[in-house]
Amino acid sequence: MKKIKVGLGTCGISAGGELVYNKIKDELISKNIEAELYETGCNGMCYEEVLVEVEDDTAEGGECSLYSKVTVDKVGRIVNEHIINNQPVKDWIIKSKDYCTEESFLKNQTRIVLRNCGIINPASIDEYIAKDGYRSIHKALNEYSQEQVIDIIIKSGLRGRGGGGFSTGTKWKLANKEKSDKKFLICNADEGDPGAFMDRSVLEGDPHSVLEGMMIAAYAIGSDEGYIYIRAEYPLAIKRLRKAISQCYSRGFLGKNILGSSFSFDIKIKEGAGAFVCGEETAMMASIEGKRGLPRLRPPFPAQSGLWGKPTNINNVETFANVPWIILNGWEKYAALGTEKSKGSKVFALAGKIKRTGLVEIPMGMTINEIVYDIGGGIKNDKKFKAVQIGGPSGGCIPATMGELKIDYDEITRTGAIMGSGGLIVLDETTCMVDLARYFLNFTQLESCGKCTFCRIGTKRMLEILERITEGNGKDGDIDLLENLAQKIKMGSLCGLGQTAPNPVLTTIKYFREEYEEHIFNKKCPAHSCASLVTYQIIDELCKGCMVCLRACATGAMSGKKKEVHKINYDLCNKCGKCFEVCRLNAIAKI
Amino acid sequence: MEQIKITINEKEISVNSEITILEAVHQNKIDEIPTLCHDKRLEHFTSCFLCVVEVEGMNKLIPACSTKVSSGMKIHTKSESVFESRRTALALLMSNHYADCIGPCTNNCPAGVDAQTYIALISMGKYKEALKLVKENNPLPLSIGRVCVRDCEAACRRKFIDEPVSVNALKRFIADYDNVNKWTPPIKQKNGKNVAIIGGGPAGLSCAYYLTIEGYSVTIFEKLPKLGGMLRYGIPEYRLPKKILDSEINWILNLGVEVQTGVELGVDFSMHSLFENGFDSVFVGVGAHKASKMGLTGEDITYGIFRGIDFLREVELSFIPELDGTVVVVGGGNTAIDAARTALRCGADKVKIVYRRSIKEMPASPEEVEAAQKEGIEVLFLTNPKSIISEDHKLKAIECLKMGLVEGKPGERAKPVQIEGSEFIINCDYLISAIGQSVDNGFTKFDRDCTLEKWGTVCVNKETMETSIPGVFAGGDVVTGPLTAITSIAQGKKAAKAIMNYLTSGKAKNGNGKFYSFKHNLTKINEREFEGFRKLAREKMKELEVTDRIHSFREVEKGLNEDQVLGEIKRCLECGCSEYYDCQLRKYCDEYNVNISEFIGETKKYLADGRHPFISLDPNKCVNCGRCVRTCSEILKVSALGFINRGFKSVVKPAMEKALSETNCVSCGNCIDACPTGAISEKFPFKILGTLPKENLETICSFCSVGCKLNFKKVSDDIFYVSNTTEEIKDSHNRGYLCVKGRFGHRYLMNKNRVVYPQIRKHGIIDFVNTTEAIKYSEKQIRALIEKYGRDSIAVFASPKLSNEELYLLQKFTRIGLKNNNISSFSNLVFDTEQGCLDSMTGFTSSTVSMDDLKDADVIVVVNSNLSEENLVMELKIKEAQKRGAKLVLMNSSEIILTKYADLWVDSRKGTNTYLIDSVNKSIIEERFIDEKFINDRSTNFNELKTELSSVDISNAINYSGIDRTKFEAFVSLMKNPLSNIIFIYNIDSRSDKSINDLKAVSNFLMLTGRIGKEKNGIIILREFNNSTGLIDMGVIPAYLPGYVKYEETEEIEKIGKAWNADLTNIFKPVDLAVRIKKGEIKGMLIFGEDPLNGRENAKYFNGVEFLLVSDAYHTNTTDEADVVLPAANHIEQSGTYTRCDNKVQKSSKVVNGLNEYENWQLISKLATGFAGGFMYNSSVEIFDEIKKINRFYKHSGINKSWMKEYFNNGFTTSKLHFSVHQADFTTFDNLKHIIHYQDNYYFSSVKNKLE
Repeated sequence: MKKIKVGLGTCGISAGGELVYNKIKDELISKNIEAELYETGCNGMCYEEVLVEVEDDTAEGGECSLYSKVTVDKVGRIVNEHIINNQPVKDWIIKSKDYCTEESFLKNQTRIVLRNCGIINPASIDEYIAKDGYRSIHKALNEYSQEQVIDIIIKSGLRGRGGGGFSTGTKWKLANKEKSDKKFLICNADEGDPGAFMDRSVLEGDPHSVLEGMMIAAYAIGSDEGYIYIRAEYPLAIKRLRKAISQCYSRGFLGKNILGSSFSFDIKIKEGAGAFVCGEETAMMASIEGKRGLPRLRPPFPAQSGLWGKPTNINNVETFANVPWIILNGWEKYAALGTEKSKGSKVFALAGKIKRTGLVEIPMGMTINEIVYDIGGGIKNDKKFKAVQIGGPSGGCIPATMGELKIDYDEITRTGAIMGSGGLIVLDETTCMVDLARYFLNFTQLESCGKCTFCRIGTKRMLEILERITEGNGKDGDIDLLENLAQKIKMGSLCGLGQTAPNPVLTTIKYFREEYEEHIFNKKCPAHSCASLVTYQIIDELCKGCMVCLRACATGAMSGKKKEVHKINYDLCNKCGKCFEVCRLNAIAKI
Repeated sequence: MEQIKITINEKEISVNSEITILEAVHQNKIDEIPTLCHDKRLEHFTSCFLCVVEVEGMNKLIPACSTKVSSGMKIHTKSESVFESRRTALALLMSNHYADCIGPCTNNCPAGVDAQTYIALISMGKYKEALKLVKENNPLPLSIGRVCVRDCEAACRRKFIDEPVSVNALKRFIADYDNVNKWTPPIKQKNGKNVAIIGGGPAGLSCAYYLTIEGYSVTIFEKLPKLGGMLRYGIPEYRLPKKILDSEINWILNLGVEVQTGVELGVDFSMHSLFENGFDSVFVGVGAHKASKMGLTGEDITYGIFRGIDFLREVELSFIPELDGTVVVVGGGNTAIDAARTALRCGADKVKIVYRRSIKEMPASPEEVEAAQKEGIEVLFLTNPKSIISEDHKLKAIECLKMGLVEGKPGERAKPVQIEGSEFIINCDYLISAIGQSVDNGFTKFDRDCTLEKWGTVCVNKETMETSIPGVFAGGDVVTGPLTAITSIAQGKKAAKAIMNYLTSGKAKNGNGKFYSFKHNLTKINEREFEGFRKLAREKMKELEVTDRIHSFREVEKGLNEDQVLGEIKRCLECGCSEYYDCQLRKYCDEYNVNISEFIGETKKYLADGRHPFISLDPNKCVNCGRCVRTCSEILKVSALGFINRGFKSVVKPAMEKALSETNCVSCGNCIDACPTGAISEKFPFKILGTLPKENLETICSFCSVGCKLNFKKVSDDIFYVSNTTEEIKDSHNRGYLCVKGRFGHRYLMNKNRVVYPQIRKHGIIDFVNTTEAIKYSEKQIRALIEKYGRDSIAVFASPKLSNEELYLLQKFTRIGLKNNNISSFSNLVFDTEQGCLDSMTGFTSSTVSMDDLKDADVIVVVNSNLSEENLVMELKIKEAQKRGAKLVLMNSSEIILTKYADLWVDSRKGTNTYLIDSVNKSIIEERFIDEKFINDRSTNFNELKTELSSVDISNAINYSGIDRTKFEAFVSLMKNPLSNIIFIYNIDSRSDKSINDLKAVSNFLMLTGRIGKEKNGIIILREFNNSTGLIDMGVIPAYLPGYVKYEETEEIEKIGKAWNADLTNIFKPVDLAVRIKKGEIKGMLIFGEDPLNGRENAKYFNGVEFLLVSDAYHTNTTDEADVVLPAANHIEQSGTYTRCDNKVQKSSKVVNGLNEYENWQLISKLATGFAGGFMYNSSVEIFDEIKKINRFYKHSGINKSWMKEYFNNGFTTSKLHFSVHQADFTTFDNLKHIIHYQDNYYFSSVKNKLE
């Protein structure tokens, strides 16, 4: 019997996956075809959604065909030709037994966290179990002491994937050592970085791996109660998690005396209300306690005094998802991947001006260029690669000239950026670095909880300076002022949000200082991106007087007759850029 | 706790390892670390980041408030990066602090006269104080009050609503008021230093004044015949009558200033000669008297042309010229207007002013222009003279040109330009040119060292006013060019200060400018901000009728009358902050030299919220430190305030834009103290007194028996408010926290309704007499009654709000003076509480454990007390204990605020508590959770109790009380744990949930479990008033002599009698005073501090009273009925001791000077001396010493010690405790409250009423 899997992660759904799913279902019913249809998570190729995979174990050696960019219109042919007549629609298949168009995207990845994503049905615990699921917890409970589990994780070299990069095993050890009648475990699923969706994809595509990771951690530290703090904006992830948790209870993976051992563990879901700062662990705990999500000073660390004053261990989704794999395959195998101090793999959400945007999992130590060119397929529209923005709004920009930099916690930190949770935005020559810094600072500024003076007012003032620079009102001394303020904000903030908020500004100044200076002293935006600093000009030689731009201009600034070169009246031009967008002759230039 | 070594600023110290860096630094007094968000009573928050320090080895700055020290830590608190970080944090805070530290009026006054504060003082009728304040910066208020250009009014924010407040007119009002009998400052002894002042104008006079009062010998040298400078020779009589000016100048001269007139610098003497003649320093204030020329041909040789300033001087100096015909005045300044109006008064038929710009650019004050026009003077704008037309050097006419205006540079006035061909002729007989003046700097010919500016003015250092010649200072128009009188005064004072520094330290210096925040520094203020304010018309001064004006030089403006003054005061918006002196933000900005405009950007603006009757919220001033939020949630557990919004928009407010009073706010006002700025402040019953300094004075609250420490901020003896912000008060037992009564109830102390004079009523007519007379009269009346009805016909009543000393004296007076035992208090008599219900058990009825022990309690049982309403601070102590893990059991029938915090609420039906506690006692006896050794060794009557309790039916008790059986079981299980520290709290004066004998049942429990006299266990008996406990301790009750001495204790009675030199055997005997009064047997009644007639129902006690003496601080219903009223001091006007509910004796000190000649103890002694000896005391301390000798318990006690604790700790082995055998009595009480104190009356009518 054939299996039809439709990628229904949030990315698949937004590309129309549900419609495709329903259409296939209708076709199967109306044509009375016997085939198994189910939803699966995202396999990372978000740029190819909607993805439909047809698995045919009746074919010789078993065949697996992946259709990309499937629309409702394409469903009929796929069902008729492939499902009914066993003739795969080759034109639409990007990967099958014989060939793969996306080979460079896939072959360069090492999928540990994403091992099941896009492959199994996340709603089915049996499929997870079939992929060795819950064997790790079984192994841990039966073969290892708490200390041994911790030891394995320490040796594996796994570091906190939420961005902190602290040794996971060591963190567990600290929590394990605390003496208390009660300990808590928290899974941080409050993924808030704009452009980052690693955790969402894992929770949507393979929720059980996270639950199993939590169970192993709980066993290791001696906790019997866990929380998953997940943002309410992830309804699908929450739905799949809830289902997975209830399946675990009915199968005895959660609750009292798990798998007949003395280990008991409960997991509750706490939905966050959308405050970015609640991803910070102390603020998150305050939020779980029902208080305003304000961070507090550490020490005491959560391992000493966390949720309701009890020792608490917090790891993020990706970290937990790694754990069952390590237990099952051994730390040696994990530690064999990566660099000296950064082991294993890392998931990145690849976005920006790149050909293939999506989710990739790469072994540590891969270079930026490899990611951008080999996996990502290079820059869109063949523009020039300018930089990558890594680490989310708290991260920084690494210029293209440093493309040979290895993905490694410490290497990245040395550049002024951070590994962060895994957002990787690729920038081309049309991106203004000042405006980019402004964009990210605007985000952190709005998301500051408002507690610390520097973060509350300082980031606002920095933003105002960036705004005036991008508007052409920058002043001599603004760069110094930004740097000065940025240093103070980093030094005088309680939590990671404030301590890292100036990073985008500092790294762009560090690597693209001349762009700032152009804005300030010459009132020019080299990337031609800052609206106030751009002037549009007709290139007389190219203009054919087609009047397209004239009709598009809302302010009447464009004048000219048919087949005559047009003119711009700069008194009327509001620099909206509409003419530039509509001109198909490239006869309008930004200067 | 371990001691560790750390290094702070290179100094090694040893500290406790548990403390924070901040504590280590402060405890060792190494530095003052600034912080806004830290409050030692709260958990640390770490948000302001002002407290950062550098720790070696750390790559970032460390917040000191919340980081614990660790061994070997090397800390730097004063490094450059620390300073810079703090300064930046402050500058950032200021960039979003849309608020004014002081009134813009004050700020804009060149002399810095604090207008807002003197307006506030005027509003209180304190005219003299207001003027004193003015004179701190301006010694010429009479003159300035008439002629000032009023920069204050230009800055007044009222203009955004209607018109500015008439600030100057208000100043003139108080100056005129003061003129009758001028306030004169104290003058320091002569210090032997001589200063010469050249020029007797406003600058010179001001300099002379401030030097003279500081003890300098000053001589003024003046060229003209009289002093006053431009005030005399430049301002016409009708604006500033010279009589007024003379009186002001003479007032300064009479302070001891020497004057030489008719002597000119550079002619008669030189600066050099002054130093040679023994002057140590010189001030030059010669003004700018040289008139400028128009530059027209024939200007100097034509008859009929004057120069404005010369003209005005001549009018003043020699004679009033007779002018007729037409006079043309050229110019647009005040001198031009003055010249024009003067010319009119000299007889001119027509006066025209020619001015080359338009009215908008005219420098003269609009009021002056308007007045001139009213008087018929025509102003020709945009007109300029071109040439003079004369005949035989006699002026005939003037040719003028029309002018146009062109935009000037930004910030400059428009420029006039000639319109070609627009010439026209004005026929005239006289022309006065008033187009400007300059400095006549001829004197510098002889003093070549004196550097001049481009315009001929003297060059000075702007900070010190020192010229280029050492020791020579200058100020006024000679420095600024022709400017304003108030600027001259300001510079005169500035120079005086610099001269003093120069002569004491050899260096001219001046204090640094203070930091002030102003709204207008951040953004432009506009009308929208004041939408919703009611418009109030500006009061206009009465003026002389125009017809009367133009023929005489009589003063035109008449000044405001008192009603108008009140009207103007209402218009003041009180922009300056009430926390000016206490604001930590401002203080730090000052210290860290913050530049307010460093980070100008968007500023959040909020409407100030004044909807709560006593608490004002101004989020504009909020720095998000969260101290209020945390106090309200952590300490009060009320959470009326919280953080709203995120990021830059986050601010502290009540949720959902509610008014504070609409939340569950308990109006304790502890948030006011918590706030380090003025974001939360008290709405005072008076106007904000801006910059007046306040004194911190600590005393004890006079409301309930918890005895909280209280700090008054005192401005003067009649202006003060409660503010518990000092570090000392935060260490008190209430940690500075107060309830609504303690916070706002003390406003009664400022009430004007005081008894000031002793009064005697004879045949219905009230006579005010002196104290001696009143006392003699009373003595006579009392003696007559004794003669007629016997000595038992007199009774004395004392308030439980009086001090121990007063109470002791009153009972002593009753017993050895009046020789009877009729001593009581209406508070006890009326409420009929069981003040002695435990006497038969423990020997007295009193607390057995102290409030401080609550912090170690495991179980706290609150019976019959509504703490939230009555004793909030006790409730806070319980909440604190709960945080630590203590369990709270509440026994009361109805749900009260505290119920939701209770771990167990025993909601027993009213009147059933005794039955329930008896059942608990039965359970623990049956289950043998009793302390048998204690019972055997230290008690009697156990078997009888056991027998009695055996008849108690627990099921029946549970049913009867209406509680759940599980609750009863939970209660018993908490009570039976012998290892728990259990403390009961019981309000003996509260009738609401009382059942008879429940206190006895509680005592039985404590004795059964050995919890009397045991550390951290026992009962706290609350009483209603601050000294209810002292009242009993002092024996103001017929049942006891001081020290609970009872009738049968003959030996003790004899001891006291001996000490008092009296035989008490026939005096100290049982008496039922209530019955005796009701029967009408009391003929003479002496009431101290109580107002029984406030409740009509108490009139029954006054049947048959023939003589009523009342002593009170305030007029009450009872004083109204009295034959003799003696004025008493209120509790902050004297010192004394008070005994709080747990028997700790606390000393209260004097906060303000009383209105009365005598303190209360003196008054009582005086009265008592007429009847017996033994009342000669020199101070209230002597009385307390006697109390310690007489009262057997106070022997063990002193100030701040609990006598009961001492007593029990020493083992009460002399007498055994006695179990009470009683039956459950289900009598309930009504909860009627009779208010018999002025203070409570005030609280209920003026505070509580407003809150409901």
